[in-house]
Amino acid sequence: MSKVLGLLNFEPSYVHVKGIEDFRPISAASILGRYRVIDFMLSNFTNSGIDSIKVYIKNRPRSTVEHIMRTSYNINSKRGRIHLLHGEDVFSNNDLFNVDILAFKTYMEFIDVENPSYVVIAPSHFIFKQDFSELLDHHIASKNDITILYQSVNDANTSYLMGDLLEIDDKKRVVGASKNHGKYKSGDVSLETYVMSTLTFKQLVEEASMTSSLYSLADIIWDNIRVMKIGAYRHHGYCGCISTLNAYFNANMYLKKEKNLTRLINDDWPIYTMTNDSCPTLYKPGAQVRGSLVANGCQIEGTVIDSVIGRNVVIREGAVIKDSVILPDTFIDKNVKLDCAVVDRLSIVTHIKDIKGTKEDPIYVKRGDRI
Amino acid sequence: MKKNNMVAMILAGGRGSRLFDLTKKVAKPAVHFGGKYRIIDFALSNCANSHISTVGVLVQYESILLSSYSARSSTWGLDSKGGGVYVLSPREKDETGLGLYKGTADAIYQNLDFLDQEEAEYVLVLSGDHIYKMDYEKMLQEHIDSKAEATIAVIEVPKKEASRFGIMNTDNTDRIIEFEEKPKEPKSNLASMGVYIFTYKTMRKYLKEDAKDPASSHDFGKNLIPAYLRDNLKLQAYRFKGYWKDVGTIDSLWEANMDLLKDNSGLDLFDPDWKIYTDDVSATPQCIGEQAKIDNAFITQGAIVNGEVKHSVIFSGVEIKEKAKVEESVIMNDAVVGEGAVLNRCLVADGVRIPDGMVLGNKKNKEILLVSKSFIAKAGEENE
Repeated sequence: MSKVLGLLNFEPSYVHVKGIEDFRPISAASILGRYRVIDFMLSNFTNSGIDSIKVYIKNRPRSTVEHIMRTSYNINSKRGRIHLLHGEDVFSNNDLFNVDILAFKTYMEFIDVENPSYVVIAPSHFIFKQDFSELLDHHIASKNDITILYQSVNDANTSYLMGDLLEIDDKKRVVGASKNHGKYKSGDVSLETYVMSTLTFKQLVEEASMTSSLYSLADIIWDNIRVMKIGAYRHHGYCGCISTLNAYFNANMYLKKEKNLTRLINDDWPIYTMTNDSCPTLYKPGAQVRGSLVANGCQIEGTVIDSVIGRNVVIREGAVIKDSVILPDTFIDKNVKLDCAVVDRLSIVTHIKDIKGTKEDPIYVKRGDRI
Repeated sequence: MKKNNMVAMILAGGRGSRLFDLTKKVAKPAVHFGGKYRIIDFALSNCANSHISTVGVLVQYESILLSSYSARSSTWGLDSKGGGVYVLSPREKDETGLGLYKGTADAIYQNLDFLDQEEAEYVLVLSGDHIYKMDYEKMLQEHIDSKAEATIAVIEVPKKEASRFGIMNTDNTDRIIEFEEKPKEPKSNLASMGVYIFTYKTMRKYLKEDAKDPASSHDFGKNLIPAYLRDNLKLQAYRFKGYWKDVGTIDSLWEANMDLLKDNSGLDLFDPDWKIYTDDVSATPQCIGEQAKIDNAFITQGAIVNGEVKHSVIFSGVEIKEKAKVEESVIMNDAVVGEGAVLNRCLVADGVRIPDGMVLGNKKNKEILLVSKSFIAKAGEENE
C-alpha cells in the first residue's frame, strides 16, 4: 500500500452547537455516553490501516489534546503517530479568517517530513463509518485528481445546512457544488472527506492561499471543477453531521437504539475511546430503565426512558429522565423531571424540578452549572 | 515515583479446581468478576494504589492468558520507570535445571534472584484470588513500627466459620503466638487473609533453609510461619476491617458478585480514590432495550439487555434476549441468554449460549448452578 496520511480537519465556521461549543470544539464533545465525536473519525482512520494522522485544532485545544493523548486508537506505538497541530498563533479573533487552508499551510512541513503519496482529509464534526482504504482504492483505480465522499439524503431541508451540495453526473463526476440553504429535501451532500495525491493537495493549498485569505479547501476544489477530474464516492449507512444542538441531540437519539448502534460500532469496526476506569453501572432497587443507552459508573435509582446517560452519572430516586442526553459526571437529584434536555458535564440539577424542551428544540443545561 | 522498597509477589499459580469448568483453561486469578474485572485486578490495583512499583506475578497452571494479561503493566498504572509487572513462571536454571513450583514458599524461593536484583527490603506476599481493597502501605508502616520480622493481615470472622480458615492466636499486643490451619476448635476468630509482609533478609534465610528440608511441603502457612514461631521471631497481626472474600468456590464467587448489589457490603467500586483498574475493552455503552425490565442489577458496558434482569450481575458483551428472565444470577462475558429462557441462581460461564426457552436453576436451590458450555452440550444431548 502506498503511504497514506490522514488529516483530520477542524470544524468549518457553519458549525454551531449551542452551549456545548462554548466549552470545546464539537469534535471533543461527549456523545453516546462514553465517546467523543472525534473518536469516530480517528477510529475510521486506524480501522482503515492509516496510523499516521494529523489532527488540526482551531481553538480551545485542552479537551481534544487531553482526550487524544489518553486514548489508545490502536496505532502502532513506534511506527504510527497522531500529531496534534494547534494553530494558536496564526488564528485570528475573526473566525471568518480561520480557514483550514491557513492551518494546512502553516504546518505543511510536518506533512513533507513524512512524504506520503496520498492524503485523506476527513471532517471532525461528522459521525459515520467508512473504510478509507476502499475509498483510496477507488480513487486510484478511477484516476481521479480528487475523490469526494458523499451521501444521498432526503432531509437536506433540515440537516447539513450550509454544508456543500454536490452536482454529480452519471459518470460519478462532480460537475457543480453549492451551499445547502435548505431549499430541497433530497440532494447529494458532501461528507467533506477528500482523497488526493499529496502533490495535488499542496498545489491546492498554495493556490487557495494566493487567491484569498478567506478560502477553504472546499472553495479551491470547487474553483477547479472544470480543470480537475473530481470524482464522487457514495457513502452508505448512517451519517450524522453534528453542526447544531438539534443535530447533536438527534444523533444521540438515533444511535442509542441497539440496531443502529451495532451497525456503526461492532467487533469488526471498533470505536476507540479513552478509558475512565469507572466500575459497571448499579441499577438500585426501584430504578426503572428502558430504551436507553447507559455508560459505566452510573448509580441509578430513578426512572430513565429513551435517553442517553453518560459515565458516572447519579440519578436519585423519583427523578424521571425522558428523551434526554445526560453528559458524564452529572448529578440529577430526587424528583427532578427532565424531558428533551441536554445536560452538559459536571452539572448538578437539584433545585429546578422540571426541565422540558421539545425534540426539535431541546433545552441545554450548561457545563458545571448548579441549578 | 518510588516510595518504598517493598516488592509485591502475587501467588497466582493455583488451579482453583473448585471452580470446575471456569478454570479449565484459565488460572483462577484470571477468572472474570464483577462485570468488567478479572479477580487478579484487585491485588494488582491494590499494589498500584499503595504506591508499590514492582510486582511479581507467580504463574504456573494454565498461564497463557494470565501471563499476557498481567504483563500489560500500564493497565494498572504499574508501568513507571524502574518498576513494572514481572510474570514469573517456573524456569530452567543453570544449577538446578527445570523445576515446578512445589508450594507457595518454594515459588518465592525460586525467585530469590529476582528479589535480590530488585534490592527488595520488604516482600509483600499476596494471593491472586481474593476480592478486597487494602492499603498495603499502611500495613508496611505498622510492620516497620512494630519491628516485626513478618506481619500477617488478619480479619475477624464469625466464630462458627473460623474452622475454615488459618487462625492466628495473638497476645494483647497483637503479636502472633500461635498459628492453626483450619482448627477444629478455634481459640480466636482472627483469620489470615493470605497477605504477608516479610523483612526480606530474614525471609531469604528461612526460605533457603525450608528449601533444603525434604520433609517440608514448602508452604507459607504450613512451614514458613511455624518455623518463624519456633524460633521465636516477632510475628505481628495486622487487623484489617472491611470487605474481604476468598472466591474459591462457585458459591463464594457468586456471593461476592451479589455483594456488589448491596449498599453496605463494604466493597465500594465507585470510590474515585481507590479505583480497581482493568483491561479496557472497546465496547459500546449498555443498550437497555424498549422491552427491558431491570430491578437491581450491576451491568457493564457492551451488554445488551432486552429481557428481564432482577438482582443479577451482567458482564461485558452479554446479550439477554426478549422475554428472557434472569434472576439472582451472574452472567459472564459474551454469554447469550436466549429468548424466553429463565435463569434463577445460576452462574453462567463466558461465551455460553443458552438456547431459547431453556429453564435453568431454581430459587429454592441451596447451591448455585454452574452453567458452562459442556453443561449446555450435555443438556442438549439429553433432550435428543
